[in-house]
Amino acid sequence: MEPVSLKDKAAVVGIGQLPFSKNIGRSEEVTALEAARLALEDAGLKPSDIDGMSKWSIQVTAENAIARNLGVPNLRWFGEVGYGGGGGCGVVGHAAAAIAAGMARCVLVYRSRNRGSGGRPWAGTSRERDQAQAEGNETAFFAAYGFVRPVDQVAMFARRFLHDHGYSTRHLGWIAVSTRKHAMNNPMAMMREPMTLEDHARSRMISDPLRLFDNCLETDGAAAVIVADAAVARDCRQKPAYIRAAAQGMGPRNFTMNNYFKDPLLESPGAYAAHDLWRMAGVGPKDVQVAQLYDAFTPLVLASLEEYGFCKPGEAGAFVEDGGLEVGGRLPCNTSGGSLSEAYVHGINLIIEAVRQIRGTSCNQVPGAQLSLVTSGNMVPTGALLFRGG
Amino acid sequence: MADDEFVRRNGGPDWIPYWEAGRRRELRFQRCAACGTWRHPPGPMCARCLSFESEWALASGRARLLSWVVCHPPLLPAWKERAPYTVVLVECEEGVRTMGNLLGAGSEALRMDMPMQVDFAASPDGDLVPQWRLAT
Repeated sequence: MEPVSLKDKAAVVGIGQLPFSKNIGRSEEVTALEAARLALEDAGLKPSDIDGMSKWSIQVTAENAIARNLGVPNLRWFGEVGYGGGGGCGVVGHAAAAIAAGMARCVLVYRSRNRGSGGRPWAGTSRERDQAQAEGNETAFFAAYGFVRPVDQVAMFARRFLHDHGYSTRHLGWIAVSTRKHAMNNPMAMMREPMTLEDHARSRMISDPLRLFDNCLETDGAAAVIVADAAVARDCRQKPAYIRAAAQGMGPRNFTMNNYFKDPLLESPGAYAAHDLWRMAGVGPKDVQVAQLYDAFTPLVLASLEEYGFCKPGEAGAFVEDGGLEVGGRLPCNTSGGSLSEAYVHGINLIIEAVRQIRGTSCNQVPGAQLSLVTSGNMVPTGALLFRGG
Repeated sequence: MADDEFVRRNGGPDWIPYWEAGRRRELRFQRCAACGTWRHPPGPMCARCLSFESEWALASGRARLLSWVVCHPPLLPAWKERAPYTVVLVECEEGVRTMGNLLGAGSEALRMDMPMQVDFAASPDGDLVPQWRLAT
């Protein structure tokens, strides 16, 4: 008997995304609804077609608020995934699993976040802090040492990672520069001025070895995607982006962000998600034409290139040099400008860009993209999705 | 800082013995009372033998440097005047890993895997906490 699998049972059929900004000027409830309406229009579906919802647990707007405002008559399935930016691919993956299991036919996934205007969770000035702490307060373990910012937590990993794998901060610069180059072609991107390696190297030090341009943006944004049964997808307005595979991973002895207490020290949850993803997909990294690798901070991309098998440990530096991540390079990566230069909304923009690559509608389209990878944050429990075209 | 705020910001109830030991200039880590396995960060159960019984045992204070960062603004108000400051990640002789601020040297003196030793100094809220300096 074939093992039960969600492979190709569901597809993303609708995407909706508001313009990103530092201050969007309205509530996360309103912007989530706007994004949901855009995604429904894109798919050619009505609110009454929605029977499931899936969200980040850190999302401050609940499903029932979205459902009653949209006039959704009933949600027969709803669920959520934790760990902020680690959750995005899981949120979509769970929707696909629910569809494959017959618990839903059409699932709305949404993320609205006023992180540009709404304060910083690590400084205790955001409503999201309480949600994050309900999942464990390990991000505050070392607050007595002034160690609470996500950038510090990634920098601690990064210094050892660069040292052990023979990489330099110039390799981080290549990631920032390549991602910016993609953003320059994207009218939705928040950062569109050119960036050079020297600009990166001269940018303000934030958490040595990481500089300002190693950090993602502070964004107010909202986006939504609609995941539907493959049978529904065939009748929708857009070319379906079939979910070829979905996986999550955590690894041993995981602590959110402060994930330094397991062995090997430098192995991320991404290594575990990658293993399951390729196994379900029946294809490997060589078959992928384009990737959105979670880039809240530049070092995460280097780690993902190794862990998803695009290169061997120690080879990611050479991989990203000389435009290796640009369209026409070794692996076109973060083609909308990513979290570094388009917007930081816990990766829903990366998922949407992965879908656009399948549709052929990206601002930095990879010709003939048939398999499109997207990953979630790998300093925390993570996930990944592989989309395929028709 | 209110007590509940201190506990929340410093890991929660599991961590109280660690911070209390620091006030007495002691580095202590949790150790399983059943099988003797050290564990840090602390937690309710031993993942090796599933015992809930634990003790807080004195550590040697000798460690190896695994990584470090140097923090620059933007920072929390209490930390602004200390910037730039260094936070180190160390692996103790007991096998557990922990963090602290670097005392007695600048970050330029640090080398991967160099020996470190524990010391104690106040965090901005005035409490003595375990910290780290280059081993002599």
